[in-house]
Amino acid sequence: MSTETKPEAELYERVDALWTIVRDQFAFLRRDPLAFAGMVVVAAFVFLGLFGPFLAPHDPIEYTVRGDANSVLRLSAPSADAFLGTTAYGKDVLSQFLAGARPTLIVGLFGGLGTGALGFAIGVVSGYYGGWVDEVLMRLTDLTFSLPFMPMALLLLTFMTPNIWLITAIIVVFLWKMPARVVRSEVLSVRERTFVRSARASGASNLRTMLYHVAPNVLPIGFLYTAYGVAWAIAAQASLAFLGFGDPTMTSWGRMLRQVFESGNMRVAWWWVLPPALGIAAITTSVFLIGRAYEEVINPEIQTDQ
Amino acid sequence: MTKFQRFLFKRLAVSILLTLVAVSIIFVVLRLLPGSPFEALVTSGNLNQEQIDEIRAMYGLDQSIGAQYVNYLTSLLTFQFGYSILRSQPVWDVLEPRLINSLILLVPALVTTAILSSALGMYAGWNRGSGLEKGSIISTTLLRSTPVFITAIFFIIVFAYNLEVVPALGMRSIRATPDGYLETFVSLDFLHHYVLPFTVAVLYYSGDFLLLARNGVVEKRGSEFLKLHRAKGLSEMEQLARAGRNSMLPILTYFTLRLGMIFQGLILLEVVFSWPGIGRELVLAIQQQDYPLVQAAVFIMALAVIIANLLADVLYAYFDPTVSTNGGSSA
Amino acid sequence: MTLLNVEDLKVTYATDDETVHAVNDVSFSIDEGVNYGLAGESGSGKSTVAEALLGLLPGNGTVEHGTIEFNGTDLTSLSAAERRDVLWEDIAYIPQSAMDSLDPVMSTGDQIAQAIHTHRNVTDAKARDRVRELFEIVGLDPDRIDDYPHEFSGGMRQRVTIAMALALEPDLIIADEPTTGLDVIVQDKIIDKILEIQERMDSSLLLITHEIGVIAETCDELSILYGGTVMEQGSVDNVLVNPTNPYTMGLKNSFPEIDEEDEDPVAIPGSPPNLNGEPTSCVFRDRCPFATDECATSHPDPVALPNRNHRSACHRVKEAAQMRQAADDPETWGIPDDGSADSDRGEIILETDGLKKHYEQSRSLLSKIRGEEPDYVKAVDGVSLSVRRSEILGVAGESGCGKSTLGETIALLEDPTDGELTFDGEPYEHYQNGNLQEFRRKVQIVFQDPFDSLNPRQTVRKLVGEPLTIHDYRTDETERAIVETLEKVGLTPAESFLDQYPHELSGGQRQRVAVAKALVLDPDFLICDEPASMLDVSLKVNLLNLLRGLADTEDIGIVYISHDLASLMQVSDRLAIMYLGRVIEKGEVDRIATQPKHPYTASLLSAAPEKDPTADRTRVLLDGEPPDPVDLPSGCAFAPRCPKARDACREAEPGIEETGDEGHRAACYFPERDDESTAADADGIDDGEVPASANADSVHD
Repeated sequence: MSTETKPEAELYERVDALWTIVRDQFAFLRRDPLAFAGMVVVAAFVFLGLFGPFLAPHDPIEYTVRGDANSVLRLSAPSADAFLGTTAYGKDVLSQFLAGARPTLIVGLFGGLGTGALGFAIGVVSGYYGGWVDEVLMRLTDLTFSLPFMPMALLLLTFMTPNIWLITAIIVVFLWKMPARVVRSEVLSVRERTFVRSARASGASNLRTMLYHVAPNVLPIGFLYTAYGVAWAIAAQASLAFLGFGDPTMTSWGRMLRQVFESGNMRVAWWWVLPPALGIAAITTSVFLIGRAYEEVINPEIQTDQ
Repeated sequence: MTKFQRFLFKRLAVSILLTLVAVSIIFVVLRLLPGSPFEALVTSGNLNQEQIDEIRAMYGLDQSIGAQYVNYLTSLLTFQFGYSILRSQPVWDVLEPRLINSLILLVPALVTTAILSSALGMYAGWNRGSGLEKGSIISTTLLRSTPVFITAIFFIIVFAYNLEVVPALGMRSIRATPDGYLETFVSLDFLHHYVLPFTVAVLYYSGDFLLLARNGVVEKRGSEFLKLHRAKGLSEMEQLARAGRNSMLPILTYFTLRLGMIFQGLILLEVVFSWPGIGRELVLAIQQQDYPLVQAAVFIMALAVIIANLLADVLYAYFDPTVSTNGGSSA
Repeated sequence: MTLLNVEDLKVTYATDDETVHAVNDVSFSIDEGVNYGLAGESGSGKSTVAEALLGLLPGNGTVEHGTIEFNGTDLTSLSAAERRDVLWEDIAYIPQSAMDSLDPVMSTGDQIAQAIHTHRNVTDAKARDRVRELFEIVGLDPDRIDDYPHEFSGGMRQRVTIAMALALEPDLIIADEPTTGLDVIVQDKIIDKILEIQERMDSSLLLITHEIGVIAETCDELSILYGGTVMEQGSVDNVLVNPTNPYTMGLKNSFPEIDEEDEDPVAIPGSPPNLNGEPTSCVFRDRCPFATDECATSHPDPVALPNRNHRSACHRVKEAAQMRQAADDPETWGIPDDGSADSDRGEIILETDGLKKHYEQSRSLLSKIRGEEPDYVKAVDGVSLSVRRSEILGVAGESGCGKSTLGETIALLEDPTDGELTFDGEPYEHYQNGNLQEFRRKVQIVFQDPFDSLNPRQTVRKLVGEPLTIHDYRTDETERAIVETLEKVGLTPAESFLDQYPHELSGGQRQRVAVAKALVLDPDFLICDEPASMLDVSLKVNLLNLLRGLADTEDIGIVYISHDLASLMQVSDRLAIMYLGRVIEKGEVDRIATQPKHPYTASLLSAAPEKDPTADRTRVLLDGEPPDPVDLPSGCAFAPRCPKARDACREAEPGIEETGDEGHRAACYFPERDDESTAADADGIDDGEVPASANADSVHD
């Protein structure tokens, strides 16, 4: 790139370079059909989360499906009136399924990002500075390990009104320890690498060394655990909702399952069980499959065959 | 003082401190947060002043916060858990059988999966790229990432509702009135109820062990020492055994940590199967605002994890010959 | 009788994108009882040959064609199980990195016993007896057979692997770089041990190494590999004394040697070939100064030279004699011969006096409360040095002698414990109290590992430009400063490197970028900590020449820290030899090289192998290993290993002022004298015709 290049050309080159980087990062998707399939599921899920409520033929909670003679259709198997059947309360399962993706997406996305970001930041600081900073932060992770997540979350949600952001926050508070630990141990080894010593020797400040030399080299691990964080957050949200501690104002997949389970209709109403159950299983599994394929790419220890 | 003893000493001190902090947090959550349970307990119910005073006195709520904290600490740390509000019997009498029920379900499941999945994982890692490896990874990824209650629901639908080979709920049939643990657990009826939750627990735990073992062996497979073993003429299986031995430590550590978490029960599994374990009891207690029971249960769970953590660290130091130059060279 | 016959061996590796042709039609044969050397730089395919022989190729490696006949059986035709039976029973293996070649969670004795049990049906007790016996043979304490690998030092671990190789008395031992990564003295002892044992057992040895010197001293025949092909093979005497292939000539010329007086080593420019395709031209063509059009058409087949055991793969083999002469001249290789113009050394830029760096050992809370004195690791213990502008001071020593700590302490990356350190007329306290950035600008350090010294996520532009940003230096013309510096270190055209990432550069290029990073701030002082230790010979010489040129033209002072005495002799003006945190000898390079005063220096010098197979040298094999730097003996630290130690040495420690003059000092009560050193020759083999070029015994002054 010489200095005479026109600004547009330079811009183009930059965009191109950026695109190459992104493409390289995702190259593993093309080589791993499973991860690719996972990506498709995730894309579909994000689409549902964004547009599901608009696609839903009826309001998931207000609308009651009525059959002939205006009678409420309760527990009806899939039919022309309701493609995925109805619930015990005569609600449209399809509508609930479509609308129920959104809370799952919100908690998954923000819970995962929050977990990844907080864990990454703490891991980097803890590993880079070491000493008492490290000691304090790591004992903090021990603490969050020792306080059982589910009971503590349930406890907090009994006297604070559950809403989706509170649930997200609780999930982040309990899950950041996972990425933090892994990132920290990675930082410990990066910190000892020659280019970090070399940065110090050339007079770089701690902040500069940490941001420019240490952090970029542990970023892939951070990404990986953010992805896992998304899956954990989705699973946690669904579990809380299943136990009856979800956001009472929103239909979610976990809540749908709770209603089937509570109403004792699991034995008959397969159409009510399957959509949310498969939805949750598919999205969590997909995120893990992508994460695992990415792990194969970034973990040099496993790169033994060339 | 040897290095190992010093290490042990430090870890022990840290664990004690952690326990204190964890217990204090439980205290804060239960009593100090706005709208906290004990407050709510008094204000909510349709109680007259007399009853309120009685309850306040019973839980020491009429004392100062400092005094309450000291009381709370001493009673928990001396395992004096008090009385359950709802069941009107000592908390420990309620918790003990529930804890046993959880352990009897989960400990065998964990041990089984640790052995089977690790062995399978090692074999899969050795045959990297094989169908077996891919298949085992996909299936365990599916099982470990899907929330356990969903797996449980699927299993119930298939095996209990459709095939009708096992019962869906409970630990014993409703008619059974066993007396004592021996009668409860040593019976065909129990076994019949046991199979399904046990299987789901085994599958749920399997993913982590399988991947841990598989990654360990894949890492070791390219190592220099294994090359020398191969040059010596060791057979494939002997080489795999060495690679496996070298990947044992993280698995052992993970096993210990998981063992500690078993004291939490598998809440969702227990709820779906109506298994009368400690996790399910805790959910019920929370729903019914039986807080003495809640604080005791949470305390036991936290303590178990802390002890397991300590144990894992110590085992690691003891079994890794490169760590414990003074401690465990006899291992 | 022929023991091993390799014919037309071809090995490829399948990678994601392409096939790597690692070994192309390699043939050679080893007779019974013969020591055979396989020499080459990294990427020459030498280790792949070993792996193919042993059947240890990684999963993506395939033997495309060729036969490996061992005792008349083609190993490639055997089943996996039959092949395993041959391994160790007949062919044993001494691996490259003894540090990680032993199973960390199995005791060393068990690992050897395992080899025995796999092939022989013996009782445990018998196997254990054999292991004890083997430990004794290789010079290890037989009572330590139950110890784990991490309890042994690097040299001792290599002895364990040798013991393992001997366990079943195989016909052939394949040793793959058995001494790489070990200190010279240890390396010398290991080579000596291998030879001694192998002679006693009458087995053959296939020695694979990049060190021509080691082959020259130990082997009877050799093959020189380059780019996966045999360039030249035959008897060591023929090939190394009268090479007929330009690559061999280049390789031989690029080896620095201790006693070379005038001849500077000559580097081979360029870098090794890309092996992603079947070779269509001579693999050395790109770097060969004698290449003609014919060389582009095909890779030459090895031609047998008349009347001797000597084959060479070169289209111009008939002109070997002329080429040989031309090859000695650096200009032939496109390297301007600026002569060793001894530049004037400037004023003193850095000086240390009694500099110490001690590390406190961690200790228990209890002993802290009791107020017990902590133990210290005395990494640097009273070092006094001075460096002038335009001067290169070499610091030599084995691993663990504190030389790297010395470098980091001088660079103020570590706080000095005691002593004085003056830079540019100011004491170090001046810099530590608020002027550290100024110091960081003027003093730069280049680290050891070229593969790790550059941030993999930065481009060359960012890497070299970062110091400018940090110090706000030439920020108005950053790009020009970067380009200038890159050109200064020989990365031309600089523009083509700017946007490259470290992984796109070769090892030599990376180390140049690291040097450029240091030079971009126009420093006054440069500390180089083993900058060349992981580079191939030809690249190493390039770097040495670069540093020498910088010292001469840029007026900066350089401290060059290394364990490689030959390189140090090449590049430095003055030398300081370190042992256990102390400088035990210092002075002008030629004086130390020709006339070492301290017995430790003498043994270091004698341990370096010679590339000339006709030369003989005296081995001064030192006992034991350096003592624990925490618990040093009283008196001279070297006394326990010193062949000449007397009572006086054990009572008080000699200072560096003990003997010598301004230009050459040594901390020894009984320094070596010119006439004395020949006495050590007693066990040397006198060949009569051997030129006395070897080592300490040279009588140049």
